[in-house]
Amino acid sequence: MNITISDNWLRDYLKTKAASSKIADALSLSGPSVEKVTRLKDDSLYSIEVTTNRVDCMGVYGIAREASAALPAHTVKASLVPLKSKSRQTFAKTVRYLKAEVDTTLCPRFAAVLIKGVKMAASPEWMSQRLERVGVRSINNVVDISNYIMKELGQPVHTFDYDKILKGKMLLRPSRKGETITTLDEKKHTLPGGDIVIEDGKGRLIDLAGIMGGTLSAIDDKTKNVLLFVQTYNPLNIRRTAMSLAHRSEASDIFEKGTDPELISLAIRRGIDLFETLTGGKAEETILDIYPNPPGAKTIALDFDFISGFLGTVLPKHQIGKALTSLGFEAGWRGKSLSVKVPSWRLKDVQIKEDVIEEIARIWGYQRLPGIIMQGALTEPLVDSPFGFEAKVKNILKGYAGIEVYSLSLVAKHEAGQGALQLANPLGEDSSFLRTSLLPSLARAAGENAGVKEAFHLFEMANVYLPRKGDLPQEKMMLAGIFVNTGFRQAKGIIEALAEELNVTLGFIPEDSQYFQPSQRLLLKCSNKFLGQFGMLETGEIYYELDMALLKLGIQPRQYKKIPSHPAQIEDITLILPAKSRVGDVIFAIKSTSPLISEVVLGTIYNDAYTFRLNYQHPQKTLTDSETEKIRGTILKILKRDFGAIAK
Amino acid sequence: MQEEVINLKNEALAQIMEVSSFEELETIRVTYLGRSGKFTSLIKRIREVSPEKRKQAGLLVNEAKNTIVKALASQKNHLKESARAWFDPTVPGIKPAMGHLHLVTQAIEEISALFTQLGFVRNRYPEVEWDWYAFETLNMPEGHPARDEWETFFVDAPANPKFGQMVLTPHTSSAQVREMQRVKSPPVRMINIAKCYRRQIDASHVPMFHQFEGLVIDKGISVANLKGTLDYFARNFFGPERKTRLRPFHFQFTEPSFEVDVTCGVCLGRGCKLCKNGWLELGGAGMVHPRVLAAGGINPEKYSGYAFGWGVERTYMMKSGLQIPDIRLIYGSDLRFLKQF
Repeated sequence: MNITISDNWLRDYLKTKAASSKIADALSLSGPSVEKVTRLKDDSLYSIEVTTNRVDCMGVYGIAREASAALPAHTVKASLVPLKSKSRQTFAKTVRYLKAEVDTTLCPRFAAVLIKGVKMAASPEWMSQRLERVGVRSINNVVDISNYIMKELGQPVHTFDYDKILKGKMLLRPSRKGETITTLDEKKHTLPGGDIVIEDGKGRLIDLAGIMGGTLSAIDDKTKNVLLFVQTYNPLNIRRTAMSLAHRSEASDIFEKGTDPELISLAIRRGIDLFETLTGGKAEETILDIYPNPPGAKTIALDFDFISGFLGTVLPKHQIGKALTSLGFEAGWRGKSLSVKVPSWRLKDVQIKEDVIEEIARIWGYQRLPGIIMQGALTEPLVDSPFGFEAKVKNILKGYAGIEVYSLSLVAKHEAGQGALQLANPLGEDSSFLRTSLLPSLARAAGENAGVKEAFHLFEMANVYLPRKGDLPQEKMMLAGIFVNTGFRQAKGIIEALAEELNVTLGFIPEDSQYFQPSQRLLLKCSNKFLGQFGMLETGEIYYELDMALLKLGIQPRQYKKIPSHPAQIEDITLILPAKSRVGDVIFAIKSTSPLISEVVLGTIYNDAYTFRLNYQHPQKTLTDSETEKIRGTILKILKRDFGAIAK
Repeated sequence: MQEEVINLKNEALAQIMEVSSFEELETIRVTYLGRSGKFTSLIKRIREVSPEKRKQAGLLVNEAKNTIVKALASQKNHLKESARAWFDPTVPGIKPAMGHLHLVTQAIEEISALFTQLGFVRNRYPEVEWDWYAFETLNMPEGHPARDEWETFFVDAPANPKFGQMVLTPHTSSAQVREMQRVKSPPVRMINIAKCYRRQIDASHVPMFHQFEGLVIDKGISVANLKGTLDYFARNFFGPERKTRLRPFHFQFTEPSFEVDVTCGVCLGRGCKLCKNGWLELGGAGMVHPRVLAAGGINPEKYSGYAFGWGVERTYMMKSGLQIPDIRLIYGSDLRFLKQF
């Protein structure tokens, strides 16, 4: 979360000569990150990113504490000016002005004090200016005081019009499902149940605790008596309510991270001071404080060698102690053991040894730690790693002018395929399912280039997500591609060349299927497994897809073949094939005629005339003309018998 | 025969010196070196020479031939422009059709190669993952506000009694516990480069993107080891003069956690218009939280580890200084974009 801190305000609690830029650098390198410093005429504003664990840094005072520790590590003197209060009120479990019954699992510390005789007015200029600089609109002295305390201490504070709390009674309890409350912003909420609410003596809900106050007990122009209200809430309840009502406030953002109950004493005293100074009100002598289980002290023990080993360097013992005390920890050495007492505002955050080392190291300065690449044994490499193969296939396709795309795996329902997994919270209809095929995505990719007249080939390698009952989906790595403005033979040739380069024997089996033009689709097969498909889409592009794992399995190791000692006899044969002949079958028939036919390549096709180039090859000798003539004769006979082919 | 060869050579050389056009040179070449040229017929006659002198004769003929070839070439270059055969070497070549690997593939290959050299093993883990691996075992129990940072997509499928809801993995860190369970006992040196999904879309965010995640676990792994690895990466990926620095940050699954910056490539850390303060933000890192080690079945008292996980696209753009104004272009299919890489 980002907060804005005013430099002037910060210097109320930070004594240093450091310039604002130096403060920003020191904080960024050793504490919360300052993203930006905005300079004003008489002030500077820090925009600071506070991580979820550092709720103690949500206010000016917490940032002052961090800066006072961080600056000395960056060679500038600094110290924290502790916040002092004039308030001498005492804390008690019961008070006369308010009967409170509190569910302390929801509210571990409940404090309130009545301030009588408040005069509603505008805030003094210094206060409204400070608030407005950090983005809070000044409303009146009462509301401004509560915002001021929140900005200063990071402790949200609420104020009730005391006279609107009927019978002077409060019951803090979990809400029942369906109860309603209208909050200060005039929004009516129907509660999901389990929200922290406060009802008054007449059973009316007057506060949606930790989120926003209710209208029934709101401060208005006529308010005379104010109940100043400072609490710690169970962060989980606050978070659940804020999320389910989609109603967040700065208070709920802080409360849901778990605030320090000890901070309440300081916050309420600060409130009393401000009320008495700025509103003319007078606080009661006793502060109601229901706080049955204050958190116990926490001490963490560390060993000097552990610290050195973890950081990879040796830090002087006294520097370790100094870093910790500057942040409010108590640290004591006994020989090599360090005992660290965690301050109340860090109890949630600092729980283990590593947390303490972080405090030491960041104040010592990360920039002073060495950099050493680890030694030691290596992990076994993966057996059968897919990555090299995937890169190879991509590179082969690139060599054939393929252009790789990465498309979104989230698609529309009609693109997703049967039974595809659906998202519970998609960004939109067109990306609400996990794809089970790359086809729709590639068709869309081709469509994005509709104006292109030249041939192009897009391909993608990505997982498809195939649902499995009661389990995560199977993630299958697929290679898919689409050819646009490309002939069937050119496209198919690329798949054939890919297979040849990988040394995979691919079978092409015609079989019709949805999305493809009739008779123009082939199943791709390798050693009795179907590993994909290829064909002409109804929309005119050519699409193919291959299962990468099966393709990899199909790879045959390259074998040495003896180089023939004698040249082959090469001849062209032109055949007239009847209509509806399958030339693939013809080639297969030619090859099957004799083992002496080493190669058959289809050359030109002119109308119904197909020219084939045949290689006749005997392993030991050059074939004589009469020998090749004999083979040719057999071929022509078979082709005539089986296909009705006639030699031209 | 020797004499005959020398005479023939001298005769040819004399003629070559006197020509004034390319055509004449060509006539001479044919006369002496052509298929039925004078030298060719001379070579045929080498058989007639007595065996003991044959080798020498062969050498002599070859030497003479080479001299003539050189003389022809040299004379061609001495001819005046007008006398030469016209050839235009500025004509553009005919290129083969060129393919393109996607920017992300190129980045992944580079990153992967770099970490492989340090003994990191790359593997693949589920992209659709259980909440258990994406959050729970990473020290982010149900309801933890830190989860908000991830903008997670949930799958509309029944939750698993142990592993919780099905999510699209919002970061490569969900591989950490998976890898610990695979390896069982350290050393672990994992590099996971994978698709991630988050519910966000604007000029600098896309719902699908890539991260690379390093995880090292062994006895005595220290913050210094993390720094050493980051510096190694910066030097080799960005350039030998580049350095990294750590800043405090918070992640639930590392303790301590860091934000990693690299010195700006333009000013090398001094500060310039481009980078403002000399440093550019790379991404997150940290020492693996003991609870995460324990969740992966590794004893945190015995072992320690570090992890880092950054965006592939962002890191690669920082390297090459590519200024792509809208990251959505990367995941579109416009040929005019794809063909640039």
